[in-house]
Amino acid sequence: MTALSGTIPVFASLEGAPIALKAWILGMLENMGMPEPFLMLVSIQLSILGFFSVFLLLFVLASWFERKILARIQNRRGPNRVGPAGLLQPIADGIKMLTKEDIVPVAADKVLHACAPVLIILPAFLAMAILPYGKNMTPVELEVGILLFFAVSTATELAVFMAGWASLNKFSMLGAMRAVAQILSYELPLILAATSVVMITGSLSLTAMVEAQGGYLLGILPNWHVFTPWGFAAFAMFFISALAESNRTPFDLPEGESELVAGHMTEYSGFKYALFFISEYLGLYVVCGFAVALFLGGWQAPLPFLTFIPSWIWFFAKILCLVFVAMWIRGTFPRVRVDHLMNFAWKFVIPLGVMVLVSAAVWHLAGRGPLGWILSLPPLLIPYWLMARAYGRNYDAGGRVYRFAE
Amino acid sequence: MITLPAILALSAALFATGLGIALIRRNAILIFIGIELMFGAGVLNFVAFWRFSPDPEALTGILFAMFTIAIAAAEISVGLALVILIYRHHQTPELDAANRLRG
Amino acid sequence: MNATAYILLGILLIASGTGAAVLRNPVHSGLSAVVAFVTLGMLHMALGAQFIGFVQLLVYIGAVAILAVFAILLTRPEASHLPCLRPLRRAVAGAVTAGLVLAALLIAIFRSPSLNREPGPVAEAPVAEIGELLMTTHLLPLQTIGVLLTAALIGAVLFASTNHS
Repeated sequence: MTALSGTIPVFASLEGAPIALKAWILGMLENMGMPEPFLMLVSIQLSILGFFSVFLLLFVLASWFERKILARIQNRRGPNRVGPAGLLQPIADGIKMLTKEDIVPVAADKVLHACAPVLIILPAFLAMAILPYGKNMTPVELEVGILLFFAVSTATELAVFMAGWASLNKFSMLGAMRAVAQILSYELPLILAATSVVMITGSLSLTAMVEAQGGYLLGILPNWHVFTPWGFAAFAMFFISALAESNRTPFDLPEGESELVAGHMTEYSGFKYALFFISEYLGLYVVCGFAVALFLGGWQAPLPFLTFIPSWIWFFAKILCLVFVAMWIRGTFPRVRVDHLMNFAWKFVIPLGVMVLVSAAVWHLAGRGPLGWILSLPPLLIPYWLMARAYGRNYDAGGRVYRFAE
Repeated sequence: MITLPAILALSAALFATGLGIALIRRNAILIFIGIELMFGAGVLNFVAFWRFSPDPEALTGILFAMFTIAIAAAEISVGLALVILIYRHHQTPELDAANRLRG
Repeated sequence: MNATAYILLGILLIASGTGAAVLRNPVHSGLSAVVAFVTLGMLHMALGAQFIGFVQLLVYIGAVAILAVFAILLTRPEASHLPCLRPLRRAVAGAVTAGLVLAALLIAIFRSPSLNREPGPVAEAPVAEIGELLMTTHLLPLQTIGVLLTAALIGAVLFASTNHS
């Protein structure tokens, strides 16, 4: 890490920097005569500390970033009082959250009320452990990585349910019911979209999926899954479902503040509320991380001559891009209605998800080349067109009615 | 190292718990949960027998466990639909209330 | 599996299972059963069947638990002021039956000489091989399961739909 002589050596030494740092600390501890089991423990702790701190930092950044972007979209300035350009605003918010009184409703189910915020933040942290952050930088190498992601991400809905039910508040309960129905419905397209990648890669391991996306077509177009017909459709499905899973606008019905106060979080205050808030952002980061690993080439550089930039920088850059898109969508789309949300999932996205599987199979059987391109498009486009026609025929928006504004 | 009978005993205890839930609770949904626990005990048996089998390479226990989980899922989906139907008719989720066919 | 993991997971499993049996509130019972399902998944992983463990977690937390808890809510347990257990005589009879079954099973397990065997060398269940077997030797069961699940899906929708009642 002393190489400051030129740009490229700096990057080259940065590539392995996190691993080298860990090895250096471990080596120093070994020289001090630490016993072997302790060293193993420290090694695990260091990995955990690494992604904990990085993601919490990213969370702090995101809460500032989101307010700034929303302000820009809405023609405001956003936070600009605390620190330069409002950068210290998250710290002020954090202090405010920590010093607020922790209120538990009298009639609430005390135990479940206290468990829910802890349980809701757990899945995000568990899923972080298997993300491939860079070359040889997967904290936990699991053969069934993608399965773990789905297994733990469904625990979120249980936590949401617990929060809503334990609060004994009708807004909380309604929010939780909406959230559970929504997460359950969008879990299916999420799994279907990921299954297509599993089919093509032939593995459930995220590392294998990222490695399968290495290389460049014609020396310029990266071999990412998003640049194939089925991959593009699957990525779109995955991203939409991911937004719905993490309760982001336009799918933020469970906490729609104009209808349900704050949904399942209504009866939470102080640090427990902050935990819900943190888990929302961490969930967004994690699900974007999975989208990057599955479809956007993980830590692979987008262009061949850019490979000198360390792999983990690419990974986080791609995550931040996706998170930015999510914020952009939040700033520009209105909230959808409950029945539209459900119809969209069950009547449109899930049938299309099955067709994505067909398309991926055709692409694989046709040799993953130009022929695959031609043959794998019809199974996607024909159902898309047919469904759009079928649903569009009887759709009557009814025109806009101004009830109060005239 | 844990022996095979120890794991089987644990699974038997789980089975008995599931059976107990199914026999003593009123709520039909909890009865289904009890049945699911019994399925779970069966799955645990399959996995334990696979682990201690002379030929683990064949993976028979694993595959059986997988099929059992799938069947359990199918069972509870239909079962809960039935419970909702019973609830609509009798306005209660208790199975003892659904006794119209009693002689 | 080492002894510590076995004891801890075993205690958690039986405690949460018993909790599901005796807790007064159906929602608490359901959540306690969820803990039992999670523990069961961990037991599978401790036994070396990682894939089955995660499938268990996925199916049971993701689908079964949510469905069950949702159904408990839809049937509004707090609206009926009946006790959570069946009439005393039946409940006692049920508990005794469960105890007898447990005793019979335990006697059978511990008296059977063929169960005293050593575990094989570290057994692994590679996902690729599971997939291979599903598509070759066990293809027929797989297809049957597919038909069963489809039938279950259609049946559940038919039962629960409001139009025909």
